[in-house]
Amino acid sequence: MKNILGLALALILGIFIILSLDSSASFPEFGTVDVNDRVSAEYLDQDNIDDVGSANIVTAIVVGYRGFDTLGEVTVLFISALGVALIFGSKGQKRLDLKFKPNFMLKTGSKIIFGIILVTSLYIILHGHLTPGGGFPGGAMIASAILLLYLADDKFRSNIKSFKILEGIAGSLFVVIGLLGLIFATYFLQNFIPQGTVGELLSAGIIPIIYILVGLKVGSEISGIIDNFLTEEESA
Amino acid sequence: MSIILLIAVPLLAAFISIIFKKIATYLLVAVGIFNLVVLFIAPMGVITIGGFTPPIGISLLFDTYSQFSLVLINALIIIIALLNCKSFNKYSGILLLAMASLNGLLLTNDLFNLFVFLEIAGIAAYLITTSNKKPLKTFHYLILGAVGSSLFLFGVVILYSMFGTLNMVDMIIKINNTNNYDQLILPFTLMFIGLGVEAKLLPFNSWVKGVLGKSNTLSGPMIASVYAAAMSFVLGRYITNLFMFEGNLLLVVTVLLSLGILIGEAMAFQSTKARKILLFSSVAQASIIALLFVNGVVIWAVYYIIAAALSKLVLFLVINKATKEVGNDNLDNLQGLFSNNILVGLTFTLATLSVMGMPLLVGFVIKLNFLTQLAAASQIWLVVIILVASVVEGIYFVRMLVKLWYKGKEQINVKYHISFKIVFVLVAAVLLVLGTYKAPLDNYDSTIDTVSQEVINNG
Amino acid sequence: MIQYASIILFVFGLYGLLTNRNVIKMIISLNIMEVGLFIFIISIGFNYDGVAPIITSNGAGLIYVDPLPQALVLTAIVIGVGTTALALSIAKSIYKKYGTFDLDEMEGER
Repeated sequence: MKNILGLALALILGIFIILSLDSSASFPEFGTVDVNDRVSAEYLDQDNIDDVGSANIVTAIVVGYRGFDTLGEVTVLFISALGVALIFGSKGQKRLDLKFKPNFMLKTGSKIIFGIILVTSLYIILHGHLTPGGGFPGGAMIASAILLLYLADDKFRSNIKSFKILEGIAGSLFVVIGLLGLIFATYFLQNFIPQGTVGELLSAGIIPIIYILVGLKVGSEISGIIDNFLTEEESA
Repeated sequence: MSIILLIAVPLLAAFISIIFKKIATYLLVAVGIFNLVVLFIAPMGVITIGGFTPPIGISLLFDTYSQFSLVLINALIIIIALLNCKSFNKYSGILLLAMASLNGLLLTNDLFNLFVFLEIAGIAAYLITTSNKKPLKTFHYLILGAVGSSLFLFGVVILYSMFGTLNMVDMIIKINNTNNYDQLILPFTLMFIGLGVEAKLLPFNSWVKGVLGKSNTLSGPMIASVYAAAMSFVLGRYITNLFMFEGNLLLVVTVLLSLGILIGEAMAFQSTKARKILLFSSVAQASIIALLFVNGVVIWAVYYIIAAALSKLVLFLVINKATKEVGNDNLDNLQGLFSNNILVGLTFTLATLSVMGMPLLVGFVIKLNFLTQLAAASQIWLVVIILVASVVEGIYFVRMLVKLWYKGKEQINVKYHISFKIVFVLVAAVLLVLGTYKAPLDNYDSTIDTVSQEVINNG
Repeated sequence: MIQYASIILFVFGLYGLLTNRNVIKMIISLNIMEVGLFIFIISIGFNYDGVAPIITSNGAGLIYVDPLPQALVLTAIVIGVGTTALALSIAKSIYKKYGTFDLDEMEGER
């Protein structure tokens, strides 16, 4: 009975959404979107490229035009990492045991791959304003490298305290950069350092700096979450 | 002094508090007081972020309406944090983030940015409810909240694809220029559901019972008072400016909200647990507030939110503290609670009488005024429904007060710390003073939350 | 037309959320629902003739796809990750308390 009710509710909502969208005059048909009707036309305008100075327009929007959203986004990850730590508690934690005994090859191999993943993620973070990528994917890659170490070595336990400090510092610096914009320029999160030439590594003003901070923060936060999930209380 | 500091400084403090855990509570109080100061000296208008003129970049909108709401929210968070600084000091960082996100919710002028702050505020609320130690209830809340904000995002994205902008002021202009109303029903419904989950509107409020029914001195006032007020303010802003309820949609919304009032009062009437009575009464209040906004009785809705937030603060603090010491919140077990706590009893009685709308208290002034305005707008049915609801409310609150005042068989002794008593007396004084000296209430009219023409022209 | 497939995915997720009685399965349903929403967001910026919105030196006259939905979906994905992590940790504490993930098997708490 409950299943039928749920099915009916979901179906009604789905049909309502599809029919309304289909009959709507202003909702553009798939694949025929005209960017010029939208605010995005301003972002794509060649003349405006010096506004942010990033060749990758998605990055320009994420960190430049809508940088405030990114601050919020980082905060969401921050509060969930904080929450996971709060729910699991932090006293008397020990590693969960692996079901198998990792051998020498696995341990050594994982350390080599760890380095490669780390370097790649740094590359992705640093080139966020030029190519697809940036702080969030890069940070997630750092965390995946840490996860690899956790899975390949049953004794491994990262230094969670220093992760917390890194996380706090990176987050604070993000806000401080925003406040510096308020002081040295006029607005919060406004660019206040030279922009350089579009397309070069050292360009786009504060974007690379923010992306490095975001990358460090995301990496340390997700690593913290991983550590919380892979530990349990001593007594249990 | 820019109003952006209201969001940036609590965030900065939250990031710092994770490194220096010991000073988190002091930071919270200091930041709260700083916010209150900024609120009175910051210039009003549209505040640009990142130097990109709206609608290209994100902007904030600071006017009298947001000032009202922000003063209330920040003051309440400081009070709740101070009262709980001993028992729940682990939650200071989360309260800082809750403060930042609620400030953002009430200030932002960008629909997607609103979604981001809705999520932060939501996650902070889930974490605050984990202090109840009822993970299943928190999980239920989280699922409903996540679905609600997904639906809200869905609505925002549909609006974006239709009108090509995310800026609220810009969106209002573009929506006013279209004459095709039918296509707006879908995004408005989705966004209304999304906000309705957090604002405790029927039928999206099934989380309230589990969360507030087991609340403590932190989660009770935070969810019932601070979050309820903030979400009502946000809902009010969007009902007045963006959502245009017309035709069948208006009928559906009105019927749903009226049902919310009646069912809420009926559930409160048949409850025998003190916290349940309070939570169902606040569900009914949330529906009344939304109904007032839908009917354009804005300014009295605003005062109603403020009065409700203040009285709910006292009610939940008194009951939750007593529940913690007694062990459960059956009215029979709490019998005679006030025979040893005359002062607390008096303030509690004043707060309930204000909620009921008794003369001499601010609740009466507010109820009288919005009922007159509804009657003047010939919404007789709504007047009747609210009057019936008030009678039911009167019966169960008087019943509760009688139980709490008269001594039962067992002597119960609940000690309230002096800080609690100070807060109770202050709130009761505010309710009493504004109830008798009502000149300040007439300074504003119902255009308070309408985004002014001036802003629309410049924004 | 093809973008309505994402709405069907969204509805599937909602159906799973309404009918499943298992905490982990509910979290998975929530994620399915969110993925449907993300695909929908991406779809509203698509243009058949459009190219990726990266400005190059010989880019004059090109049609680009709308970059804003892509930026929005990036934010939304990260927010979804945060919610999921929190939901999983609450699920773990539910398991610790009741010894099961199934809502029907939990005693005392309904």
